[in-house]
Amino acid sequence: MKSFWLRFGRNKGAVAGLAVLMLVTLVALVGPWLAPNDPWGMVQQPFLRPWTEPGFAMGTDTLGRDILSGVIYGARVSLLIGAVSTVAALLIGVTIGALAGYFGGWVDSGLMRFTEIFQAVPSFALAIVLVAIFQPSVDSIVAAIAIVSWPPVARLVRGEFLTLRQRDFVQAALLAGESTPRIILTQILPNAMSPIIVMASLMVATAILLESSLSFLGLGDPNQMSWGYMVGSARTVLRQAWWMALFPGLAIVLTVLALNLVGEGLNDGLNTRLNGRTR
Amino acid sequence: MLTRVLQGLAAILLIAAVNFVLVRAAPGDPVSVLAGEAGASDAQFVAQLRTQFELDRPITTQLANYLGRVARFDLGYSYRQQQPVLKLIVERLPATLLLTGSAFALSLLFGVTLGALSARRAGTWVDSGITVVALVFYATPLYWLALMAVLIFTVQLDWLPGFGFSTVGAGLRGWALAADIARHLVLPALTLALFYMAVYARMTRAAMLEVAQMDFVKTARAKGVRPGRILRAHVLRNALLPVITLAGIQAGGMIGGAVLTETVFAWPGIGRLMFDALLQRDYSLLLGTFLVTAAMAVLFNLLTDLVYTVVDPRIELAS
Amino acid sequence: MKRRNLIQWGASATGLTLAGVPLHLLAAGKKGGVINAVVQPEPPGLMLGITQNGPTQMIAGNIYEGLLRYDENITPMPSLATSWTSNKEGTVYTFKLKPGVLWHDGKPFTADDVVFSADVFLRKTHARLRANLAAVESIKALDPLTVEFRLKYPFGPFIGIFEVGSMPMLPKHIYDGTDFLTNPANATPIGTGPFKLKEWVKGSYIQLVANDKYHVKDVPLVDSIYFHVIPDAASRAAAFESGKVDLVPGGAVEYFDVQRLAKLPGAALTTKGWEFFAPHAWLWINNRKAPMNQVKFRQAVMHAVDREAICKVAWQGFAKPATGPFNSHIKFHNSADVAKYPRNIDAAKKLLAEAGYKGETLRMLPLPYGETWARTAEIVRQNLLQAGIKIEMTATDVAGWNQKLNEWDYDLAFTYVYQYGDPALGVARNYTSANIAKGSPFNNVEGYSNPKIDELFDAGAKEADPDKRKAIYLQTQKILLDEVPVAWLFEINFPTLYRAKLSNIVSSGIGLNDSLSGASVA
Repeated sequence: MKSFWLRFGRNKGAVAGLAVLMLVTLVALVGPWLAPNDPWGMVQQPFLRPWTEPGFAMGTDTLGRDILSGVIYGARVSLLIGAVSTVAALLIGVTIGALAGYFGGWVDSGLMRFTEIFQAVPSFALAIVLVAIFQPSVDSIVAAIAIVSWPPVARLVRGEFLTLRQRDFVQAALLAGESTPRIILTQILPNAMSPIIVMASLMVATAILLESSLSFLGLGDPNQMSWGYMVGSARTVLRQAWWMALFPGLAIVLTVLALNLVGEGLNDGLNTRLNGRTR
Repeated sequence: MLTRVLQGLAAILLIAAVNFVLVRAAPGDPVSVLAGEAGASDAQFVAQLRTQFELDRPITTQLANYLGRVARFDLGYSYRQQQPVLKLIVERLPATLLLTGSAFALSLLFGVTLGALSARRAGTWVDSGITVVALVFYATPLYWLALMAVLIFTVQLDWLPGFGFSTVGAGLRGWALAADIARHLVLPALTLALFYMAVYARMTRAAMLEVAQMDFVKTARAKGVRPGRILRAHVLRNALLPVITLAGIQAGGMIGGAVLTETVFAWPGIGRLMFDALLQRDYSLLLGTFLVTAAMAVLFNLLTDLVYTVVDPRIELAS
Repeated sequence: MKRRNLIQWGASATGLTLAGVPLHLLAAGKKGGVINAVVQPEPPGLMLGITQNGPTQMIAGNIYEGLLRYDENITPMPSLATSWTSNKEGTVYTFKLKPGVLWHDGKPFTADDVVFSADVFLRKTHARLRANLAAVESIKALDPLTVEFRLKYPFGPFIGIFEVGSMPMLPKHIYDGTDFLTNPANATPIGTGPFKLKEWVKGSYIQLVANDKYHVKDVPLVDSIYFHVIPDAASRAAAFESGKVDLVPGGAVEYFDVQRLAKLPGAALTTKGWEFFAPHAWLWINNRKAPMNQVKFRQAVMHAVDREAICKVAWQGFAKPATGPFNSHIKFHNSADVAKYPRNIDAAKKLLAEAGYKGETLRMLPLPYGETWARTAEIVRQNLLQAGIKIEMTATDVAGWNQKLNEWDYDLAFTYVYQYGDPALGVARNYTSANIAKGSPFNNVEGYSNPKIDELFDAGAKEADPDKRKAIYLQTQKILLDEVPVAWLFEINFPTLYRAKLSNIVSSGIGLNDSLSGASVA
């Protein structure tokens, strides 16, 4: 564990990313109590520039709503959607990949063809169709993102399982008569976790971007003040009110960046093959 | 190879069937959209259209008809637009191919070059600089990049056109037309390319650093081979393998992701056609675009595998 | 004084126009040029007899014509009909047609085409005209240039149904005896209008060119019109700003942008051209479910909504608060002698308590037509929340919105509707019991049923005397404003944005939906 943190710590970018991520998570958790206003409340004059009124550091939007409060609440929505959809995608992908990699043979073939079908359809297009079908809401967006994101997880896990399946400790467990589920869950999976964790961090980033793109196209949940929703509603006033899209857009960029950097740090920390020679 | 192609075709038919059912699950249908747009409708209007659009037949009949047509490469008819689906798609496909093709080439070119540069100067500020720039572009939403590009280059500076395929009504022909289209292509292709370039840059850098430590490279260096030749003949070729694999996967995704670019830049491609078809519940057209994009993705995957097998044996020979 | 100068002086002094074109412009002989406009969204087709949505009407209004046009006071003006008379009871109308009018393919336009269009073709394909012709017993061609309409009973608004979008004239020699919906001629629309379809590059643009055989001399004044298809509102604004397009119809660019763009040098703005359609926006309230079946609940909603804020903040002044079911542009509108609902949260809360509202969450369905409607819905949600009504927004796209309203699957839903100048044409359908039917989002969707209202609307349609109609509709408005079947919100004044070098783009009460025959490029 200590060596992991040592290696992780050597990647300055990853450390910075982790700091940003922790800040964002903190805002997401306690933000709503700290936010000065209800993000939907029309509390001030519309089109207020940032830093011109005390208490409205990021100005107001087209309806006079406080953008700072919006960004704070948005952290919760965006992270929640990103995290839950990733977890869901992982559950599906790991299950399928594990089964395919462990059993091999026709189980593997069948599951991989199934995976390929999902991969063949462009993921963004499929997400749009799914959200349109189930009517935009947080639930449908999370489901849609999960459904389009699991195939790469499945392929990765399958690859790992195929390799690890042949290793000695698995053979030993088989000889010892351990049941299949036990072997998969307690023997192989823990050893395959590293690349899965790295992938997960990138998936959260992609999920946040995906959600914001859906909001941009008008398919976001109208009851949630998410960052994507804020940027989407500000895009028609970009010329005269740059700040309405800048702050939530910046929030997206920073969070996604942080997640990517943390992902790289995790890669460095968990990947013991390179002896820390990537720098 | 043959089995892969057959599997691909089977996959496409299955996608067609699944999409057919899926799309009809969406609330509303093409008739209700048209009725809503007309601002007035009555039972006769709706009934008339439903018969014309073949929506009054049982769903299993519709599915059977549809799959039968697909097998004969007939993608059906768009009743809303009163044109065969294949014609509508073929009209818009070249624009998307042009956009994604150039974006793909540009992103690979920039990505690999920057990644190689980054690896060569690993640890310096050039490396950090490129990394930061690449990551920032990757983290920025595509539509944001597009909007910024239009704002800066079209509205403010008026250097490049920000919408459309070519200058309408100019009556250009031949090389002048090609030049005009090229001018309109610059912003959308660059925007799309910048987004995907980051991945290739990061991957090339990581792969090159990894390969640079491998034995055969150390051997070459010990033998006194010049650094430039080592880079080109040994390191780059090996490092490109994961990049090629990634490119194959990305290419399929790029086609779908072009929806955002085509929307902002009013680029008349099939990404936007698919989105509009979805909003209008134009089932045949939507399914047609889905099939075509899925088929293209499958094709790209096959091509990537092909390139991989071509590149691979030569590596073994070189070392 | 030279004769030309005399015409110029005379015309500009008296404001004389010919087909809506000021005579002095004609005399000046300005001709030529191209108009670049924007159309959003791309129309599904241009055959106005079959497709009647907004974009189609705007473009096809240049290709087809109707018997009459209407100015901004909804007074009828000649178009393909040069004069008309009716008998004393108002049951027989005779129209004299303009001689020498040719279809785009060169064949002459005659009374047979009128009879065919109204009685055969449009009766089959045009839902709104079907409803308008309910009073008509027969349509006959008395001679090649005279048409007679016989009515079963006097129909007050009858003279108002001849606008090009309501009753376009279609060529009999092309469509007679064919399957109208699949006739291949639909791809190349043939009309009598000042412009012809030249080219349609799907997803890019539609090009119209001048009809050099048009029946009004020296008109049109431009060579061609391009309607560009640009899917994104922000892109459309940028297109106007950078000079790529010169004409932007209402609703194509967000209102926040309109104000800014109108201030640019060389840009101009007008809100004229919507008087005939009189777009009226309201909140459907599903009268079938509790608590919405209580009059007091609905009155509470009327008191809670902040119409001023909506018009000022969301619509940037391009909307005006509505006072009731009638738009202020249509005949017999009365806002003085009826109940009023100023914004009053306390009154709203009191009414809610009296109505027995227990705090259930109601679903609100916004209109999926862009950012302005999304903002409008958000404002109304906040207003209702302030009064204590819990709201959950359901998101949907156009197809879903249609579906939900068709099936009455909603609690509160936004809409806007055209009123066509007369209560019998554009208001009755939303409040009469006979119009309660699933399958349309534009009839009596709220499910309101009052026999007295049915009787009044019926009487108003069958009455020819305008004074009697006025009294009938006053009573109608009084009752509707007491019972509040829906919550009226605002009237829309769609702004048309254009380059100042274009003149005369709005020449009648239907604005851009009429033709651009009189428009010219400086």
